[in-house]
Amino acid sequence: MKRVLFSILLAVAISPALVSAGEDGTEILNQRCAECHNLTGPAPQTIRDLWKRDAPDLFYAGNKFRREWLVSWLQKPERLRPAGVNYLRTINSTPKKHQDTKKDAKQFDVLWGAVLKPLRHDILTGAEAEVVADALMQLKANEEQVAGMMLDTSKTVTLEQGEVLIDKVYGCQSCHQIEPGFGGYTGPELYTAGSRLQPEFMLSYIKRPRNWDPKIWMPNGNVKPEDLQKIVNYLILLAKEDYHATSD
Amino acid sequence: MQRAIRLVMTTAVVAWLLPSAVMAEEAYLNYKSYCMQCHGMHGKGDGVNVPAMNVRPRDHSDNKYMMTRTNTEIYKAIKFGGPAVNKSVKMPAWGDVFTEEELTQMVGHIRTLCCEKELIRGVNFK
Repeated sequence: MKRVLFSILLAVAISPALVSAGEDGTEILNQRCAECHNLTGPAPQTIRDLWKRDAPDLFYAGNKFRREWLVSWLQKPERLRPAGVNYLRTINSTPKKHQDTKKDAKQFDVLWGAVLKPLRHDILTGAEAEVVADALMQLKANEEQVAGMMLDTSKTVTLEQGEVLIDKVYGCQSCHQIEPGFGGYTGPELYTAGSRLQPEFMLSYIKRPRNWDPKIWMPNGNVKPEDLQKIVNYLILLAKEDYHATSD
Repeated sequence: MQRAIRLVMTTAVVAWLLPSAVMAEEAYLNYKSYCMQCHGMHGKGDGVNVPAMNVRPRDHSDNKYMMTRTNTEIYKAIKFGGPAVNKSVKMPAWGDVFTEEELTQMVGHIRTLCCEKELIRGVNFK
């Protein structure tokens, strides 16, 4: 009898701790994520502040990400930006021993350091990822930027037409990769964008990146409204391709 | 009296140098944050994104070529992008990122990368 009573008492004493650890995603965010991620805003307003940023801003995560992508990524984090969040820290001139010694030879800048190793990011359990994703979806800053945005699914494009838009018409591919290893390094990969981001966010961000991140190094491409719809439709189509199956 | 004149002169020189020095740094910061990803850390058109690009970014230290471009042309290329000066779309328009003042400062900064000797000789790029 005594033992039963004791175990009941013990269970009562422990359960609030278990519940709060298991169910409060906001607490996990504040304890484990806030050190690197900005959860409250605003975005960096000067270049110097921008260079200090260690991880993507999350204060508008609820208007940016798709929940199902967050849940799976948080359990298996992978690098999205080949040059890291802050490309200024991760590039260097070609090391001396690899340099071409010919006169007037180009010395291309190269990626170096931690960015070449797998991403260092907290790995969450399935249950944690669910509650953290819920908490992130509550962070809804910049609501006014996505309010007027609507994806027009009738403006469909084929993969080839979309690639022409990305590469030849607007030159996005200089900084973004449209399949692994195919494109520039300083922007996030585009081949997962469609499954990662909400269509309204993509429309709004491509239209004017400054509205979300005033000093970001993505320029305003002056994309025509029709092409904007086509590009976002293309990105959603692109995300359905399975690159891990075809990359080898 | 002479000391007073000297004081006034130094103040004038310092006052003249100070804002220009601050401006130069801003243009350098802008160049580093936005242009460097393609034009490279030393402006030689050898940035980190270049291996994947089908059009090579301009080498800003190429004195011979840069001497044939006017300031207006460089200004237009930065503000409206490559197509505005019959060049590639791979050069995006930065008009939404830079203010008018930053744009003119950037043209000046690019001139220091390529044509510093000519600037001292007094070439008029307009």
